[in-house]
Amino acid sequence: MKKFNITVNGNTYEVEVEEIGGVSAPAPVARPAAAPATPKAAAPAAKPAAPKAAPKAAPAGGNSVTAPMPGTILDIKVKEGDTVKSGDVLVILEAMKMENEIMAPGDGKVVSVNATKGASVNAGDVLIVLG
Amino acid sequence: MANNKIEDLRKRREKITLGGGAKRIEKQHQSGKLTARERMNLLFDEGTFVELDAFVTHRCVNFGMDKMEAPGEGVVTGYGMVDGRLVYAFAQDFTVVGGSLGEMHAAKICKVLDNALKVGAPVVGLNDSGGARIQEAVDALSGYGKIFYRNTIASGVIPQISAIMGPCAGGAVYSPALTDFIYMVDKTSQMFITGPQVIKTVTGEEVSAEDLGGAMTHNTTSGVAHFVASNDEDCIAQIRRLLSFLPSNNMETAPLFDTEDDVNRLAPELDDLLPDNPNKPYDMFEVISRIVDDGDYYEVQPYYAKNIITCFARINGQSVGIIANQPKVLAGCLDINASDKAGRFIRTCDAFNIPLLNIVDVPGFLPGTNQEYGGIIRHGAKMLYAYSEATVPKVTLIVRKAYGGSYLAMCSKDLGADIVLAWPQAEIAVMGPQGAANIIFKDDIAKAADPAAERAKKVQEYTDEFATPYKAAERGFVDDVIEPNATRPRLADAFNMLASKRESRPAKKHGNLPV
Repeated sequence: MKKFNITVNGNTYEVEVEEIGGVSAPAPVARPAAAPATPKAAAPAAKPAAPKAAPKAAPAGGNSVTAPMPGTILDIKVKEGDTVKSGDVLVILEAMKMENEIMAPGDGKVVSVNATKGASVNAGDVLIVLG
Repeated sequence: MANNKIEDLRKRREKITLGGGAKRIEKQHQSGKLTARERMNLLFDEGTFVELDAFVTHRCVNFGMDKMEAPGEGVVTGYGMVDGRLVYAFAQDFTVVGGSLGEMHAAKICKVLDNALKVGAPVVGLNDSGGARIQEAVDALSGYGKIFYRNTIASGVIPQISAIMGPCAGGAVYSPALTDFIYMVDKTSQMFITGPQVIKTVTGEEVSAEDLGGAMTHNTTSGVAHFVASNDEDCIAQIRRLLSFLPSNNMETAPLFDTEDDVNRLAPELDDLLPDNPNKPYDMFEVISRIVDDGDYYEVQPYYAKNIITCFARINGQSVGIIANQPKVLAGCLDINASDKAGRFIRTCDAFNIPLLNIVDVPGFLPGTNQEYGGIIRHGAKMLYAYSEATVPKVTLIVRKAYGGSYLAMCSKDLGADIVLAWPQAEIAVMGPQGAANIIFKDDIAKAADPAAERAKKVQEYTDEFATPYKAAERGFVDDVIEPNATRPRLADAFNMLASKRESRPAKKHGNLPV
């Protein structure tokens, strides 16, 4: 626990800063903006600095196939690691009373299957990522 | 003496014919492009091209332009024959001052447009220009304005076709945009209002010229272009093909072509083409290719809003414009882009006396916030407007689903369809059986001992009673229910019967199409 006196616009604030766990400490990634003790940085909101962007998001560089409209996943025709050709049916999406065939936009390998059978999806949701 | 003068003329002409000179022509070829004159010669039947205004020169003296020679003013203009029919054309010459547009360059194009309008002949514009000739300042801008004005005045009177065969940026894009059709040559053409550099300075976005305004961008994403061509030769061959479906002007009808394909040909395959389960998709082109002459059709905007098909084809040698839902894409729903694509195509056909064939298998309008926020109401209204406004023969063929508002939007009897035919599999109703049964029999289902069984029973009841073409036929909204195999003869007969159709509208300045 460290104590700081911080003056902002003539008002002095006593601020306590607690260091949480030794592991997350090596945060030299501290944003450069934090250095000058601006009131913001001083705020007791001593958050563990910005977390890394969620790594779960679609692997970069992949070719993601998204749902063209809201509907229900009726069937998934491929699994991770499958090789697909342009035009192969990847997923059957039931929407607007139609079993829509969602096809591969190009040749590639299935990097991840983000859809599950029976799930409802919205337009734009990533169903399959091709690599 | 006289011979000297003739010799002089020949020399002058030779110089002009060479455009920007051998070096620049070489460069044009290296970048995969043909020169303006080569393009003109490809466009017209051999030996029919007559050049106009070859000797026109600019009169700009600013910034050293007085010393700048621009043979032909950077644009080749004239007329000739395409399959024996008169067509006017201009081709910008990139080898001459980058094909830049100045006062006299624009004047040459305006003359072509004026003449074409006078004689009622189509105009083909082959664009390949660096943009406005900046040295000419406001004179260049005025040039663009004069062209826009003429494009607009000629719109709906003579077919206007634009091909983008090189750069086309800034104000230059609007002349093509005002014409009826835009071709783009893949990899060598770009269209944008503001280029990648300006975008980078202003918004910080980095984008390549090809991604921003290349042929595929405008054919798939923006819908600005109607056709993509693999190279210059392909582009011009396609333009010639398109012209074969169009009349020369709004007072004529498209040329008739002899066909070996018997109008009375039956297509038994059509009887089994639709999947038994109405929830299964199929390819609508399978239907189209079996109906039209020789299975031959020319698709307009094949890569944009693929949930609706727009194409030209012939039935009994007569040009028709086909608008068809594509169940294979987005369930064949109507959405914003599909409405824009179809609305535009319907109006193009109506303007040029090309009868309409509407092939319907539509489950409805695409639901979703982005559709509603994007204004599907006003976009969808374009289809209703365009169909109601059209006075050409309108024949509607309902092959399967025709539900609710989308049934109307695909040219129902009430929007003025002259003949509506339906296949026995047609389901013409306010909504699908599932949804309808859930609403109408809500209480019955809730009270039943076994709601699921009751629901299934009621859905079946509704399906048998209403998901058929016969309810609509009872009211006369469907003129006849036909066997699918007889579709071609029945359509040919309908168009033949409608050939003399005359329909007038109240006199007005112009309607107010929702845009």
